[in-house]
Amino acid sequence: MTSVAPLRFENVSLPGLRDGRFSLDVPAHSATSVIGKATTGVNALGAIALGLVNSGSGRALLYGEVVSEMPRHEALAFRRKVGYLPAGDGLLQNLTLRDNIALPLRFGSEFSERETNSRVSLMLSLFGIDEVSERRPAVATEEQRRRAALARALAFDPALVILEQFFDGLTPRAGALLLDLALGGVSAEGSRRALLITGQYLPDRLKPRIEHTYRIAGGLLSPDD
Amino acid sequence: MRAVAQLGAMARFFFGALSSWRRLPKPGRRVTFKILVKQVWFTALQAIPIVIVLAAILSFLLISRAVQELGRLGATELIGRLMVIAIVGELGPLITALIVTGRSGTAISAELATNKVMGEINALEGMGIEPAQYLVLPRLGGAIISVFGLIIVFDLVSIIAGLVAASLNGMATARYFEIVLASLSFKDAWLTVAKGIVFGMIVGTVPSFHGLSVGNAATEVPVAASRGVVVSILSIFLASGLFVVVS
Repeated sequence: MTSVAPLRFENVSLPGLRDGRFSLDVPAHSATSVIGKATTGVNALGAIALGLVNSGSGRALLYGEVVSEMPRHEALAFRRKVGYLPAGDGLLQNLTLRDNIALPLRFGSEFSERETNSRVSLMLSLFGIDEVSERRPAVATEEQRRRAALARALAFDPALVILEQFFDGLTPRAGALLLDLALGGVSAEGSRRALLITGQYLPDRLKPRIEHTYRIAGGLLSPDD
Repeated sequence: MRAVAQLGAMARFFFGALSSWRRLPKPGRRVTFKILVKQVWFTALQAIPIVIVLAAILSFLLISRAVQELGRLGATELIGRLMVIAIVGELGPLITALIVTGRSGTAISAELATNKVMGEINALEGMGIEPAQYLVLPRLGGAIISVFGLIIVFDLVSIIAGLVAASLNGMATARYFEIVLASLSFKDAWLTVAKGIVFGMIVGTVPSFHGLSVGNAATEVPVAASRGVVVSILSIFLASGLFVVVS
């Protein structure tokens, strides 16, 4: 199946790096990972894509649009088309895991409270955190927090999901489970999501499940063997 | 020069938060309103006991002494002006705003600074939620409603405590109400309303601004909390002085 890449980086240089530019397509219905040391600026890729951070040069096209050039309120609305799991999970500490997952639905959708609750309950079961749903992030384990953050990122069932430092701190088994949930439809290629996974670490056992893997160093991107 | 720049940044922050209301999506209004109600619960309702105690003690002491001293001079009718100008007009709004700053200003600064340090602001923006709409707007609205409401509580309790003090010192209830009501003007009432709104704006804006101004280090959280409260207190006194000059 061929389709336009939902996310494209064109001649991008990462913030704080003088040298090195690269281009990258994140194809639809497949997983792409970019791995590198923290000092390479790899963690800024997701934020550049969403227009949260400006790249040193070049541009990031999200569904053909440059989000960083949009008026602020349009950029905010546009970002709801994308699932985003930031580094460190970004869960709100004063909300329970359930309320964290419900937040984007309550704030940005026309769902009634009943519809939101039913959707959130379904996601809690799917992500295996229904028994700890009333806990706040501070008293949940790292894996439970990552599950909740991923469920929140997928709340709108987006076609593209950006996952920062996704595997860091997870066992390969937990990583594999969450990767499958993030990808979505296993049997029907058309229903699979496009994933951009960034971070310092990609478990060897999971490499075969990710179609495109790259390594970044010195501001340059190369396929990872 | 730095203080002027800071003031400008704070004014932009305040108007930015205020104008974000117009672009708030309809479902987001429900969420923001729920947070505003929670803010009023924490900021106003939970502060009512301390406001009552302080208002009662202050007014009782002041009116007791005034009745004794002014009674000797045969000028007990001045108690009305004292009650309206000193307690209802000046001390009520000032003490109430300071109580709210001490209780909630610290909490607002620390909470928003923690949100920033923990990457929650970035996450909100990534989800398409404007932090000004989700975090600042309900705190600003909550602070205005709370300060305004608590000033009314303070003033009512002060008048009642003043009545008790006056009665214990031999003044008739009818006489007390007569001189207090005679001293109360439309201008005094409007000034109290204006002070409630302005002080509420300060308590909602300044700690939020300082809370969201932190970088990425957890050590900046207590600094932001302290700075938010100190600048709020200073701003409240300055605003109070401006009210005296303007009125």
